[in-house]
Amino acid sequence: MTDSGSSWLTRAEPARVGIHLDGEGPLPVGGADTVTLGLLDHGHVETITSAKYRRARGPYCLTGDCGTCLVRIDGRPNQRACLTRVRDGMRIGTQNKLIRAAPDPTRLVDKFIGTMDHHHFLVRPRVVNQAMQAVARELTGFGSLPDHPPDGASAHEVSAPDVLVVGAGPAGRAAAQVLGGSQLDILWIDRGLDSPTAGGLRCRGQTGVFAAYRREGIWAAMTDDGTRPPTLHTIRPRHVLLCVGARPPTIPLPNNDLPGIVAARGLLRQLRRVDATLAAKCIVIGEGETAQRAATRLGARCIAPSRVTRLEGSTRVEEVVTTDGTLEVQLVAFAPTAAAAHDLPRQAGAKLRFDGTGFATVRDDDGRCVTEGPWQVWAAGEVAGVMSDAGAADDARRVAAALLTAAQEKR
Amino acid sequence: MPKRTFVCRCEDVTLAEIDHAIGLGMTKIEELKRYTGLGTGPCQGKECVGGLAALLCARGLADPDRVQPFTARPPTEPVTFGALAAAGDDE
Amino acid sequence: MGVMSPKARQMGSADAPLPDACDVAIIGGGIMGLATAYELAVTSKLSVVVLEKSYLVSGASGRNGGGVRMQFGDADNVALMMQSIEICRSLAQQLQINLWFRQGGYLFLARTEEGQRRLERNAKIHKEMGAPTRLLSGAEALEIVPQLHVEGVRLAAFNPEDGVVFPWPFVWGYAGQAQRRGVVIRTHTAVSDVTAAGEGLRLSLSTGESITAGRVVNATGAWSIELNHRLGIVLPNHPHRHEIMSSEPLKPFLDPLVADLATGLYFSQSTRGEIVAGITMPADPPHEGDGPPPIELDSSRNFLSRMSKVLVQVMPLTGSLKVLRQWAGPYDVSPDGDAIVGPSPGLPNFYQVCGFTGHGFMMAPAVGKLLAAHLAHGKAHPMLERWRPSRFADGTSTRREDMIIG
Repeated sequence: MTDSGSSWLTRAEPARVGIHLDGEGPLPVGGADTVTLGLLDHGHVETITSAKYRRARGPYCLTGDCGTCLVRIDGRPNQRACLTRVRDGMRIGTQNKLIRAAPDPTRLVDKFIGTMDHHHFLVRPRVVNQAMQAVARELTGFGSLPDHPPDGASAHEVSAPDVLVVGAGPAGRAAAQVLGGSQLDILWIDRGLDSPTAGGLRCRGQTGVFAAYRREGIWAAMTDDGTRPPTLHTIRPRHVLLCVGARPPTIPLPNNDLPGIVAARGLLRQLRRVDATLAAKCIVIGEGETAQRAATRLGARCIAPSRVTRLEGSTRVEEVVTTDGTLEVQLVAFAPTAAAAHDLPRQAGAKLRFDGTGFATVRDDDGRCVTEGPWQVWAAGEVAGVMSDAGAADDARRVAAALLTAAQEKR
Repeated sequence: MPKRTFVCRCEDVTLAEIDHAIGLGMTKIEELKRYTGLGTGPCQGKECVGGLAALLCARGLADPDRVQPFTARPPTEPVTFGALAAAGDDE
Repeated sequence: MGVMSPKARQMGSADAPLPDACDVAIIGGGIMGLATAYELAVTSKLSVVVLEKSYLVSGASGRNGGGVRMQFGDADNVALMMQSIEICRSLAQQLQINLWFRQGGYLFLARTEEGQRRLERNAKIHKEMGAPTRLLSGAEALEIVPQLHVEGVRLAAFNPEDGVVFPWPFVWGYAGQAQRRGVVIRTHTAVSDVTAAGEGLRLSLSTGESITAGRVVNATGAWSIELNHRLGIVLPNHPHRHEIMSSEPLKPFLDPLVADLATGLYFSQSTRGEIVAGITMPADPPHEGDGPPPIELDSSRNFLSRMSKVLVQVMPLTGSLKVLRQWAGPYDVSPDGDAIVGPSPGLPNFYQVCGFTGHGFMMAPAVGKLLAAHLAHGKAHPMLERWRPSRFADGTSTRREDMIIG
């Protein structure tokens, strides 16, 4: 385990909470930190070992979308480190490190096997095939079973609001301000750690909307604060405003999966939450205004992807190899154009258009994307392809105003 | 360490594997998803499906005006069996 | 390692050149059609064309849970599945593709007296046939799956030779090997019409092409209903939307597929570590209006909740585990639970291989062999007599199987 001792963050508030990683610790972290940020402060960026090539992986998007921040927390497997707040005495475990010894011999798979078509790998003879399958089974899967069942039954909250607003980023917050003054029953949901608040709205933080079921006419969500059994929500809204934002894709560069490569937008968001700045040696890879601005805020150099030959490191990124030479780093922040979060709009029945990076939701002039079926769905901000914070907020105000008119008319 | 460029980090799918599958005649997003496993891991394609579409468009295998992501199956966020069990039948 | 030249591994394509005529045209590139095509290619000189309207594994063959069991309630089905499992043992090597066939067994749990009687009856049949099914107490079931909650379990039945597979490579494997042996596999091509042409049939295709075939096999599962309807063939099978889900990947902990008879819950763990589970749900309201019932593949929260409620009772440790993905597939349900295989009433050169009622995938390795032997060499098989499509019209249909899960 690497513990640099020196801190990767400069904090406004001192680190007062102690957490444990793989039986070691306590590591002092900030009380408002996510697990990811707390560990990153101590230079820990590795969370899981990948199933097939047995490579080290760590959190990338830092907003709970990418699926590689999964750690074991207090006996529960596959918890999203980026969406979990630290607690004093929390026990965190990295996952799928079959052998704790360093170096892990299963990592030889990566060293000695080239591109693997797993469908045609070691098929014959049968005895070899069976041995391969037995080994493969042991190498897959991330977390082990929980230590114990949940402490009690989950609650179920059923509601039928006039409007469901999903997301509390720049677009969601702007929309909430417009909607807050109405007499409508409005439910505002966000899955981030910090509960959204606005006058006149029912707010639910740490709540992920996980589906739009057209067949049943419901939206479903789950609140999980990590301390109690999660709550299920069944929502039958008349209108839905999707401000679900966008996600950073990866950048196709050799070794783009190394731990310590994170998304600049997620990193900035994590730092802003706890009023911290980055002290670690970081390079931003991206181009354009957003990437430049991220570099400035991270105190990092910005390099265009076309100038990067590859990334290097064994279990974490250590070097950025460019056409002009090699740079030593502790962190790499990717700043690609974000891709609209398309899955909920698509489930709700919206049309999508490819914008070169992701699938933006197609809307009419007012911002509606679904007009037929059990609800009217509206979309604003990044999800509809409006990619700047200020632009997304303006867009959301406009769409929220149109939604308000429609919702009040048909009441 | 070999230099691998990943399209899908959840399921360890590299650019070379996508090329291999294309060579087998799998050129549609839904086919490539199934053959390579891309997009079937914990993130369910949130990180990779746009990149795959861009790659197919760049190779002339998909039309940027018509390309669609693979089906966005629920749940879009992982949800616990315990929470799901809280609902009564047909609620 | 593991990679060979792409051309050698092609498995059907949208631009595969079609001949003007062939001996056997198979409609449907699912496991049933492709297993039949492969067996025809291996055992005969017949020219074979497979037509798939979408991509391979787009239908029920790509949507099922991958369970393979000999624990049926009817001796003929047990025998058929014993044969299918025997084929599966070495099928990966034959098809040159990993099938991830893992014989972790099927563990049935009975909580009612009726369920107990069924398991006891089955065990007797299985013993006579040489299938290694054992009856267990709840406590003994715990030795196989220690995380189970077995209170109320009156009896369990375990067959260690049952197992689970990863369904998709079966389809690709049969397709790849059939193609290597000369079978033409054309994807993204639907059959729009079938008309008489001399001794055979002419198929008009969605691409504007047509092909003439001596015999045609309708292997389109639940989609056969719509195709038969268009051709005026009256058969009583109907589609049933069956939902299923898979969880986040977990380290291996569960060897068998566990099935709870009273609720219809079944769950197993895939090689990738996901819990794959489904449950018996009430049927959707019957289709009203003219025309064949449409194939609906919507997912529902109600399914997830009903399944989860039983799962956390049967295995309480799953309570904090997470669902990652849910989807649905169509069962092709026959009214007596038996498949519908053979010449169509009124159109003898148009063969049916449908109505498998959720068991088609696991039966296909054996069915492909017996159907190919029949098509190529006229070989009879007791199942073909039992499955004949005419049994509904002549009133000889009887229900013989009651081990239908999900």
